Amino acid sequence: MKKKTIYLLLAVLLIGSLALGACQQAPAEEPTEEAAEEEVYQPVSVEADSCDYGGKVLSVEALDDYTVEFNLCKPDPAFLAKMAFNVFAIQPSEYIAETGGGGKILEQPIGTGAYQLEAWNRGDSIVYKRFDDYWGESAEAETLVFRWSTESAARLLELQSGTVDYVTNITEEDIEAVEDDPELEVVPLPAPNIMYVAMTNTFEPFDNLDVRKAIAMGLDRERIVENFYPAGSEVASHFTPCSIPGGCEGESWYDFDLEAAQQLLADAGYEDGFETAIYYRDVYRDYLPRPGDVAVEIQTQLKENLNIDAEVVVMESGEFIDESTGGRLDGIYLLGWTGDYPHPTNFLDFHFSEQNPQFGDVFPSIYEPLEEASQIEDPADALGLYAEANNAIKENAPMVPIVHSTAAYAAKASLEGVNNPPFGSPIMRLIDPGKDTLVFMQNAEPISLYCADETDGESLAACQQVLEGLYRYNTEGRAEPALAKECTANDDLTVWTCDLQEGVKFHDGSDFDAYDVVASFGAGIDASNPYHEGNTGAWEYYSYLWDGLMNTEE
Amino acid sequence: MSTELNELQQKTQRDYRSNSLFWVTLRSIVRQRSAIIGGSILIFLVLVAIFAPVIAPYDPEEVLIGKEDIRKRESPCIHLLGCPEDQPQHILGVDGNVRDVFSRVIFGTRVSLFIGFSTVGFAIIVGTLLGAIGGYVGGWVDNLIMRVMDVLLAFPSLLLAIAIVTVLGRGLQNALLAIAIVSIPRYARVIRGSVLSIKEQEFVSASRALGGGNLHILFRRILPNAIPPLIVQGTLGIGAAILEAAALSFLGLGAQPPTPEWGTMLGSERNQVFTAPHLVFYPGLAIMITVLAFNLLGDGLRDAIDPRLKE
Repeated sequence: MKKKTIYLLLAVLLIGSLALGACQQAPAEEPTEEAAEEEVYQPVSVEADSCDYGGKVLSVEALDDYTVEFNLCKPDPAFLAKMAFNVFAIQPSEYIAETGGGGKILEQPIGTGAYQLEAWNRGDSIVYKRFDDYWGESAEAETLVFRWSTESAARLLELQSGTVDYVTNITEEDIEAVEDDPELEVVPLPAPNIMYVAMTNTFEPFDNLDVRKAIAMGLDRERIVENFYPAGSEVASHFTPCSIPGGCEGESWYDFDLEAAQQLLADAGYEDGFETAIYYRDVYRDYLPRPGDVAVEIQTQLKENLNIDAEVVVMESGEFIDESTGGRLDGIYLLGWTGDYPHPTNFLDFHFSEQNPQFGDVFPSIYEPLEEASQIEDPADALGLYAEANNAIKENAPMVPIVHSTAAYAAKASLEGVNNPPFGSPIMRLIDPGKDTLVFMQNAEPISLYCADETDGESLAACQQVLEGLYRYNTEGRAEPALAKECTANDDLTVWTCDLQEGVKFHDGSDFDAYDVVASFGAGIDASNPYHEGNTGAWEYYSYLWDGLMNTEE
Repeated sequence: MSTELNELQQKTQRDYRSNSLFWVTLRSIVRQRSAIIGGSILIFLVLVAIFAPVIAPYDPEEVLIGKEDIRKRESPCIHLLGCPEDQPQHILGVDGNVRDVFSRVIFGTRVSLFIGFSTVGFAIIVGTLLGAIGGYVGGWVDNLIMRVMDVLLAFPSLLLAIAIVTVLGRGLQNALLAIAIVSIPRYARVIRGSVLSIKEQEFVSASRALGGGNLHILFRRILPNAIPPLIVQGTLGIGAAILEAAALSFLGLGAQPPTPEWGTMLGSERNQVFTAPHLVFYPGLAIMITVLAFNLLGDGLRDAIDPRLKE
């Protein structure tokens, strides 16, 4: 009896599993059909149903083999500057389809760059070889090696011992050692960043304009920059650094004027000062390399200059960002911004738009000219509006711009063509080490080499050597055409037509054409795209720079 | 005859007085070399704390930017040891905000001793009450109190302190409270043990037979006899409390800038350990000396007081 039951059970199980298997077989067959199609994967367009999803991109279309058209929902004068961002690099449509937008593509990118990937030895190094069919001037060094070390002291040691040629961020204290060494040179990283002292005007006493102005005039910014920032850092004259075209129009910031500041504070009824807090997070940033020291310095200055008693409060990083950008901090806070692309919109519009509550109630006199300026393609034509906005910022003093900080890299003095652009990463193809191999050492190992779905600078630096987009940054940080001959806009800046280069070869030997552009963009911006896989699946830069991904579910 | 009797009486009284528990203990403490060394260092530290404004050449929170021609994180400059006379003298150098490290270390003594005594004082008072009640009353009250103490003891103390500070918020006061709370069980257990054994002794029964009330018996008869082990535990505990407070401050949870606290000083300059080692060495040394003093004194006291260690 018992045996029979067991057999019966086994038989039921067997039939059941067969039935289950049969049910699943049907969808399992589909990929093979798709695979047949994939060999000729040449998407003509990716598009959203309408602009209702809130993002900037309506569609990307291949008009013919070498013309691509971008239809935008809103005008975007920073379109070209964004295009030069390596996140929007182009890979062959066939390769994207073959890898499914994940897996192999994360480790073995195929681009059009001056270097092609030779090997990624996990945990040790990435080796690149010169790409002989490169469309531009070929790379100086035959072999390029990327290595990494998190400790700046270790990086410097390798540079001094000669095992590497070029290293990233050295500390302020080490700069002197590098300067004293005739074999080495300091390579400053220009400063498209800003550190500011912000006050939320919905809290007392910062709702009083005189109080904000008093703090703006009563802080000795030069003393802060001189004592707590590396040499080459500039006291900020405007919120946007002058290295950005159209960045510093209008009047310069207030000079340090103790008497005027004390007078203003007395006029506001606070001649004896008041109590407040200085909030910050203890996180290293180029614009704030020593948060603790700077916070205590500002605390000291507020006390000595204006008799304001400020308590220094360190906050957890995530909480600090949430609270400060939400306009919920009742005191002063130290925050900053590093530019993503060289356009004033990246600095001003983000911080002073009507929607941003981080300084409390918004100022129409600031955001109105900014809105108008954001519709104008050429920053040169918008200078007057930016001057107006900057003057309004100075007049209303929602924050005090302190410094455009600089960071420093170091290299062997014998290298030729060393560069360190303010946007993007060092352009290695231009560097001649005087030998076959150029070795670069950065802060950390890349996370993946599919940078469409990465945000960290280490990944982007490693990607940039292999992959190229329609535009790219030159050594000055300006966007210049790369795979596109030129992109032109219609009058209201909503349709951009890109004329592509012909005869460009990918590292796998295939030809570059408009469908590769559509495929690469589609994988990133279109959430319903079959190859929208990536590494984390977050596609942060696609989402942030184009105001959201299209065709998302829900 | 009567004078002889008087003398005898006085002698007995003297003997009695000099053989009292206090004098016996004091004599055996003095015989402990480690207690003497620890005690001397402690007296020195207390004097430093009291006379800090006299000893320190600068205000510990004074930023010297613009007042003296000196760079931040400058190495020590001592005129006697060959530092040029035209440079301002900073015995232990200056820190990242251009403040005199020597003055900060000196004033740090005040903060640390205050931390040690106040936390342990609080913990002893609460712990003694809980332990004494538990031990004397017994039954479910004892069970409840001691199980709660067991739960507190089950956490690693620093971790629990971090948790408490995270809930209460950063700052020296909250850090003190956290350290005090986590050290309560230690004293509660010591006291409970003593109370349990003492309450069975005959003089307690005698006191009860004479009509002494519970409070009278507990606080006048039992507790005074339970104190010696508490003194030892407390002295050792002060060292531990100073160390824990320094650890919390190092993590940025304790004393907030610009308070000159040794742990905070260590924490804010920890990345400069290779480029400006004096900024972490001296606060660290100060913590070590202070904790060592309390540990030596505590060990000496234990050897002197603990009857089990007596020959």
